[in-house]
Amino acid sequence: MNQLLALFRLDLRLFFQDRRSLVLLFLVPIGIASFMGTLTSNLGKPSDRGGIGLIVVDQDRSDLSAGLVSALGKDANFQVLETNETVARQWVLSGRRPVALVVPEGFGANALFGLFNTNRKPVITVLFDPSRSMERQMVEGLLVPKVFQALAENALTVESLRSLVREGVARIEATPPDPSWDQTTVRKLMDQTDTWLAEQTNSRPFQREGSTSAAEGEIGLPLPYTTRVEALVKGEAAYNAYAHSFAGMGVQFVLMAMIDLAVGLLRDRESGVFRRLRSLPLSRTTLLAGKAVAWAAIALISLVGCFAFAMLVFGVRVQGSWVGFVGVLLATSFLASTLGLALAAVGRTPAGTRGFAIGFILLMVMVGGAWFPSFVFPKWLQTVSLAVPTRWAMDGLNAMTWRGLGWEAALPSMGVLLAFSALFAAITWKWFKWEA
Amino acid sequence: MVTPLLKAHHLVKRFGSRTAVEGVSFTLQRGESVGLLGPNGAGKSTTIGLLAGLLVPDEGEVQLEGSPIAGETDPRKRKLGLVPQELALYEELTARRNLEFFGSLQGLIGAKLHRAINEALQLVGLADRAGDLVKQFSGGMKRRLNLSVALLHDPELLLLDEPTVGVDPQSRNAIFDNIEQLRQRGKTILYTTHYMEEVERLCDRVIIVDHGRIVADDTLVGLKRRLAGTGRLTLDLSAAPEESTLQAFRNRSGITGVEVRETRVTMTVEDLTVGLAAVLEEVNRSGLRVRALESGQASLEDVFLDLTGRSLRDG
Repeated sequence: MNQLLALFRLDLRLFFQDRRSLVLLFLVPIGIASFMGTLTSNLGKPSDRGGIGLIVVDQDRSDLSAGLVSALGKDANFQVLETNETVARQWVLSGRRPVALVVPEGFGANALFGLFNTNRKPVITVLFDPSRSMERQMVEGLLVPKVFQALAENALTVESLRSLVREGVARIEATPPDPSWDQTTVRKLMDQTDTWLAEQTNSRPFQREGSTSAAEGEIGLPLPYTTRVEALVKGEAAYNAYAHSFAGMGVQFVLMAMIDLAVGLLRDRESGVFRRLRSLPLSRTTLLAGKAVAWAAIALISLVGCFAFAMLVFGVRVQGSWVGFVGVLLATSFLASTLGLALAAVGRTPAGTRGFAIGFILLMVMVGGAWFPSFVFPKWLQTVSLAVPTRWAMDGLNAMTWRGLGWEAALPSMGVLLAFSALFAAITWKWFKWEA
Repeated sequence: MVTPLLKAHHLVKRFGSRTAVEGVSFTLQRGESVGLLGPNGAGKSTTIGLLAGLLVPDEGEVQLEGSPIAGETDPRKRKLGLVPQELALYEELTARRNLEFFGSLQGLIGAKLHRAINEALQLVGLADRAGDLVKQFSGGMKRRLNLSVALLHDPELLLLDEPTVGVDPQSRNAIFDNIEQLRQRGKTILYTTHYMEEVERLCDRVIIVDHGRIVADDTLVGLKRRLAGTGRLTLDLSAAPEESTLQAFRNRSGITGVEVRETRVTMTVEDLTVGLAAVLEEVNRSGLRVRALESGQASLEDVFLDLTGRSLRDG
């Protein structure tokens, strides 16, 4: 029993002696759990994510289309930007906004008739980023009540209903006699309806007092419009979900690999290898540069292997620029290697550094969108993610693979990644110590 | 006057409030084999660190062939070969790969590197294990490989920082043989240790350090001459002596050093006959009994005891 107690006490004593590991033991799971909880609790609430970034192109400029744009803009689920179709296409193609709605010319004139006549249904074009089909579905779903609301507020006037009736009368008149139904009676009924409408002074006869919108579920009518859905990728490019997942996991595990290399470097320092190296005519700069290049090569090999597998097995393709793709891979590799060196520079002991680095890198990959696409984040986190280099690595790789963008689209990602690399290199230069 | 190969001039190194090396000065002439002797914590490794350029002195300077080493990339550092106290090797690589790496950093390439590796492995008796991973080596083999790394670039001066720590007697003898061969080849050697027998076997000159200061710098003969005529008495008593008894020994004239380990007391005395009488008188007064008694001439250990008042192994 004494032996058991002695062993028990020893392990607890050793464990609690390493304060840094102790803190991390609690902080890392708390941080990750909080993050995951925040994300998963917000998955079904676009309003908590600052609203879906929706572009609306109003080509109709009618009261109805303006009413629709207004109704969409007032909904907290959307963050509406109104622009022209060219800009809308560019922004969705580049991933800046997930969905755009193009309200066509004639929408106002035809929407009401579309309720009763399938031939006159206006077609709303839905442009979307194929990696964000969830948001496209949300937009399509939420569009229905908005159209009805706009119809109720802008199109259901006495005049519009009278013209609807008159059109019906004209169609009856144009129809040849048919013994299967009583055309005369129907014609009489429509005339009476027209007369009744003409007597109304209220321009919106069917709107209840105090009501501002057509309530969902009370509309037992067919949709007054149809949609044409268009996934936006460049040229012949097609969305491949594996491209995103392999980019995310590739970046994550390259960063994780750097933890081992950083810990190895600290072990070299403890083992006396550094004492031997320092006795040679070798500068600290040469040592660090050698490590940076070697570790970047390891990261590059890992990323290339990862994408090669994705290409061979899952059909992932570089549908954009190969030059840009290689550039982003190189920049990501240098980011990883300099981050590894910076971790070694700020770390005191191998064990302490491992704990700290795991927490730091997990946070980076989560916030950077390697686990979940950043658009599911709360708005504040989406803003924060711009300051995380992994976000830029992901954006760059996505742009060059399934988005099919040109090399110039890789430049922002490469620039940010290299800027972070320079920052990590500066931290390394400042803090790295030959002696433990 | 011949310019020394290496000159340490008034070296001072502090770590926070602790002064590890305090005013250390000495020179090394070409071909000399010098022992840096002192207990653990005396400042030997710090001194080696200062000489090899691993540490920057707070005061003083190190001169190589008459001029200070100019920064970390001074090519004259190739004249030095450091064998650190730690096993500074990559355990996951083979012996040959380790040597290739460190040899390349010393500027060796191609056939020259290949030849240097073979010679170094030959010298330390590891030629037949060149392709084995270092992690499969015994402690003694790793020590020998650790030594061979420092020999690759054929340095003029070898700085050996306790190169036999933790090895079995057989491996220790093998390392001694290697170092003796290097002496015969005319290498200059600075050898730190707290084992006097190593210094007595390998060195012509001994620098004794304690608490960061040099307390003696002389040849082996010169050091022993300091205690010429002195003797050493070792008594095994019936019980551990009380402090009052030890103090009584120290107060007797002619007893210059007292060291106690449980029931065993070792004293240096100026004259064996007089000293023995005085010691026995004090033992008798204390009520203890002598179970065994040894006497002899002073050794290097006694020299250290005489100079510092404590044993080399006190640490």
